[in-house]
Amino acid sequence: MSALEFLTTGYAYLAFAFLLATGLYMMIASPNLVKKIIGLNMFQSAIFLFFVATAYVQGGSVPVIPQEGGAVGEYASPLPHVIVLTAIVVGVSLTAVALALIVRIYTEYGSLNEETIREVARR
Amino acid sequence: MSATLALLVAVPILASTLPLFLGLRFERIGWPIAVATLTVEVVLAALVAHRVFTDGRFTHELGGYPAPYGIELVADGLSMLVVVLIAIVSLSVLGYARVAGPRRNSFYVAYLLLCGGLMGVSLTGDVFNLFVFLEITGLATYALVASDRSGRSAVAALKYLIIGTAGASLYLVGVGYAFVATGTLNMVDLSNELGETVAYTDPLVVASFAFVAVGLGVKAAVFPLHTWIPDAYAESPDTVTAYISGLVSTVGAYALARLIYTVYTVEFFEAVPLAQDALVALATVGIVAGSVLAVMQPDVKRMLAYSSVSQFGMIVAAFGLANETALIGGVIHLIGHGFLKTGLFVAAGVLATAYGARTVQAYANLGYRSPYTTAALGVLALALVGIPPSIGFLGKWYIALGAVNADAWVVAAVIFASTLLTLLYVARLLETLYFRPRDSVDIQFDELLADGGERDDPSTRVSVGMVVVAVAFALAAVGLGFAAPLFETVLEPFAGRYL
Amino acid sequence: MIEDPRPLAAVLVSFVATFGILAAHRHPDIREGVTIVAALAKFGIVASMLPGVMDGTVYESNIGTFIAGIDFTLRADPLGMLFAFLASGLWIITSFYSIGYMRGLDEPGQTRYFASFAVSLSATMGIAFAGNLLTIFIFYELLSIATYPLVAHDEDDRSRSAGRKYLAYTMFGGGVLVLAGTVLVFWLAGSVTFTAGGIEGLAAVDPMWGRLAFVLLAVGFGVKAGLMPLHQWLPEAMVAPTPVSGLLHAVAVVKSGAFGVARVVLDVFGPELAYELGIAVVVSSLAAFTLLAASFIAIRKDHLKQRLAYSTVSQLSYIVLGLGIFGWYGLIGALLHIPAHAFMKLTLFFCAGAIHVETHTDYISKMAGIGKRMPVTLGAFALAAAGMAGIPLFAGFVSKYYLLIGGFEMGGIALYLAGALLVSGVLNIVYFWPVVYTAFFEAEDAHDAKPLVDFRPGGETRSTVARTDGGSREDEEIDPDAIGQPDFSGTSGRRDYSEPAERIDGEYAVDQHPSDHHMPDDEDDHDDHDDHDHHGGPPPSGWQRLTVGEAFHGRETTWFMLGPILASVTGAILVGVVPHQVLFLELIEIIVENALAGTEVLP
Repeated sequence: MSALEFLTTGYAYLAFAFLLATGLYMMIASPNLVKKIIGLNMFQSAIFLFFVATAYVQGGSVPVIPQEGGAVGEYASPLPHVIVLTAIVVGVSLTAVALALIVRIYTEYGSLNEETIREVARR
Repeated sequence: MSATLALLVAVPILASTLPLFLGLRFERIGWPIAVATLTVEVVLAALVAHRVFTDGRFTHELGGYPAPYGIELVADGLSMLVVVLIAIVSLSVLGYARVAGPRRNSFYVAYLLLCGGLMGVSLTGDVFNLFVFLEITGLATYALVASDRSGRSAVAALKYLIIGTAGASLYLVGVGYAFVATGTLNMVDLSNELGETVAYTDPLVVASFAFVAVGLGVKAAVFPLHTWIPDAYAESPDTVTAYISGLVSTVGAYALARLIYTVYTVEFFEAVPLAQDALVALATVGIVAGSVLAVMQPDVKRMLAYSSVSQFGMIVAAFGLANETALIGGVIHLIGHGFLKTGLFVAAGVLATAYGARTVQAYANLGYRSPYTTAALGVLALALVGIPPSIGFLGKWYIALGAVNADAWVVAAVIFASTLLTLLYVARLLETLYFRPRDSVDIQFDELLADGGERDDPSTRVSVGMVVVAVAFALAAVGLGFAAPLFETVLEPFAGRYL
Repeated sequence: MIEDPRPLAAVLVSFVATFGILAAHRHPDIREGVTIVAALAKFGIVASMLPGVMDGTVYESNIGTFIAGIDFTLRADPLGMLFAFLASGLWIITSFYSIGYMRGLDEPGQTRYFASFAVSLSATMGIAFAGNLLTIFIFYELLSIATYPLVAHDEDDRSRSAGRKYLAYTMFGGGVLVLAGTVLVFWLAGSVTFTAGGIEGLAAVDPMWGRLAFVLLAVGFGVKAGLMPLHQWLPEAMVAPTPVSGLLHAVAVVKSGAFGVARVVLDVFGPELAYELGIAVVVSSLAAFTLLAASFIAIRKDHLKQRLAYSTVSQLSYIVLGLGIFGWYGLIGALLHIPAHAFMKLTLFFCAGAIHVETHTDYISKMAGIGKRMPVTLGAFALAAAGMAGIPLFAGFVSKYYLLIGGFEMGGIALYLAGALLVSGVLNIVYFWPVVYTAFFEAEDAHDAKPLVDFRPGGETRSTVARTDGGSREDEEIDPDAIGQPDFSGTSGRRDYSEPAERIDGEYAVDQHPSDHHMPDDEDDHDDHDDHDHHGGPPPSGWQRLTVGEAFHGRETTWFMLGPILASVTGAILVGVVPHQVLFLELIEIIVENALAGTEVLP
């Protein structure tokens, strides 16, 4: 597979890598706790994108058996979609817990800056 | 009969909703519900253990969908031991929690949820399902760490959340790669496909192993992925530390072992020796680094947290060596460490509650004020060093023998030396407890209020139950030192299946 | 081989007694009663097996599988009996002595002391009766743990540091080296069970691995036997109460090291294989070096217990050395030295302890004329010291005699080893004679400065009692107890004649005690509890003179201490005069016969 071909057909994977790296960088580099969580979400979304991209079949249809019966022909793999749905639920609940913690931290320290909080907490 | 497996997971998760609903009417209903639920869990775990003991491995298909399409729950020697550990530790820590708190009903929601998550991780036979349970475990743990509602614990919990979620997500990436390579998520199915339809040396498979290993390494607090562990252990309430220290990273390491042996199998290691070498090397470095970091900690809970890093280094090294003896050693040490660390944190919690002693210095001469608790602490700490007869020694013996069998001389040397490394921080603790007069140190009284000031009931009362739990763990640590034949009988079929 | 619960009972009896001791912590008399009863019971159990063992029976308690392929076995074979019989017998004596010593000094933490002592003896029995390498390792580690509280007993900086050092060394020897060696032997031979003449599988393995395993085990056990360069913990451990130094650091603990080496040579590798591997000679040479070097160090020690400690280091190397000579005589000499040295060294330590309790004198340089005050104690000391030097009719002679014959018989490098033994005998006199001489033949106001080697040839005269002239006015303000003590301030012009070399060095003189840079370096800031070290010396009027008759009427020291001293010195003489009748030699002949059966080294 040439580089150009990959760019045209596999761009979803490129986006996956880019989003993953961006999210990871935000989680590490941003001192702002909320932005860290945004980074975390981006990181996870990248993975969702990856799963959905793997399931894509050119010209494939929805993996639902028609009511009247019969074969559907080529269809997208349903399993990754299910996985992603579950993972999204997990991700949402994580975000909820994270934000709840951040609210608690903000009321305690009056700041969302990691450095500031570390300094205050040390006392 | 195999439904016990499903019940093991479902009972605590369903029961975790009860404290919320019944809490509307009764005030302190959480603890009784937890006791009832976890007693059921212990009974179920005993049933599973019995069945594995007599019949060997058995599975349960969730919802009646057969594997590889449905999700399987699997009980074999390894998962049975972890399940028993989870059930016993969860129930015993309740004996500590009754007086020590936190007492809110919502605490017990997270407590039971965590138990369910842990059971799920240990029993599932599906890699994606494993991710979900890992995240349930994670969610409950984050909530528990912050359950004293102090700012510091919230910061620790958030740090843990970010690192832990990143780890779980990396694991999910690894699962995704494996799925792309093979098109299945069932563990047994995956292991059949890997090496058959796709070569072990395929970059996709290697990358998937790397992601999975790093992701689970985070959960198991393997050096250098351990950075969440000191804060999470040190800042959380004592009850929670005792609970999570023995179980959460334990199931992380369990999941790693499960993935290595059941999914990737030792043939993968043979095909890609670099993966094995890197894993063992990192783990071995972790043994040393964890101990050195532990020695440097003035805070007891932090010290014990770093000690976990060191011990998990040993466990993961054993799993990485991939021979039968080392595997048995790794599992024994995994279970043993669960008991030891829980007991140690319970004992440390008792001393903190009674005297506000949270630093090694503040432990001066407590050996004569709380003889039972400190004796338990001493026995557990010595077991951690690997003084026989104790569970700590058993693990070390098998791992060392495994390392020698594998001709891994550096690993063997480090494991032998780890006696001294562990002794470094254990001796410091014991010496202070028994041989440093109270007046010789200047003790800052005390972190007690800063740490526990916002508990709903800042009680400093030590109940008999708290001490009994510590002593029971100490006795178990010594008693299990004689259980090697039992461990072997249970683990040999497992080892035989995958090696 | 007979299945019998007695080996297990011998181990457990004092362990169970520990709980009684702990429970009776408010009632010292009951507590000590429990100790005595346990000691007697333990000795009774061990002694009851002796006739059977002499007839070739081996009693075994098998508790079951401990680890796959290895059972947890305790069995009383002749070698184990030798050690167990010795240690349990001496525990009785030491228990009485402990009571006298601990109460005489009004020591704190006595419950912990007696409890740890009982556990230590349990572990020692376990070592003696262990049926395989793993079992011995278990008890070896337990012994390290159980004796740690005894070393750190004083709860001050010095004893804590000694305790730390003790744990580090013994754990390095046990948890690292012995464990590694055990794992290696298990890996090589598939068995770790002690077998007379050696474990079968070991003979077939690659000699390189065999050598590695041998060195790991020999050095690992050698750490507790004070083998140089890993002997440092032993002199440090002398901060422990004297009964501990006596029973544990001259008998039980250090001998468990020597005993471990004996097991390795006789029952793991077997004398023949050990000889073929050629590595035992290296260990023997190390022992020869140790016994000479330790003797030289001992000459320079002024602190009596330190001198005894180095003497122990030196004497234990006799045993290790003898085990490396292999022949009939060498092995007998080595094994006989275990009880011989035990009786003698126990006597010496008991004497040092009695002197400490009665006069608070620890330094030899302050003991001039002390024979007047404590005639019986010092008399016993002189007898035991003579035995140490290998003078006939004392215990040390017999064992050394066998060792020398063994050395000459083997020839070659063993001749040098035998030479080292002879030189060491002379050195023994060099370091023990000054103590006896100063005690009986010198006066407190005119004696040679000690240690002799630190001063110009011909000696320098010193006085330990306070001088009536030349003293500064401060003399009047000093309480009588402190008279004759070194001046720690370093600022006054008052000379202190009991502390040699110091005056030249000026300010920090006392810290640079010529004999020892560890012991006194932080004494100034101790609580009065361990001030004993620089109290002492004669009272201003000189030592009171006691006749032997008065001494026996309890004027010298209590019978709790005098009795044990006399008992152990009697033992030392009996082993020297009638070695066969006290069973030790007979037992040892059985051991050696078993070990050498069917090998070529049998003469």
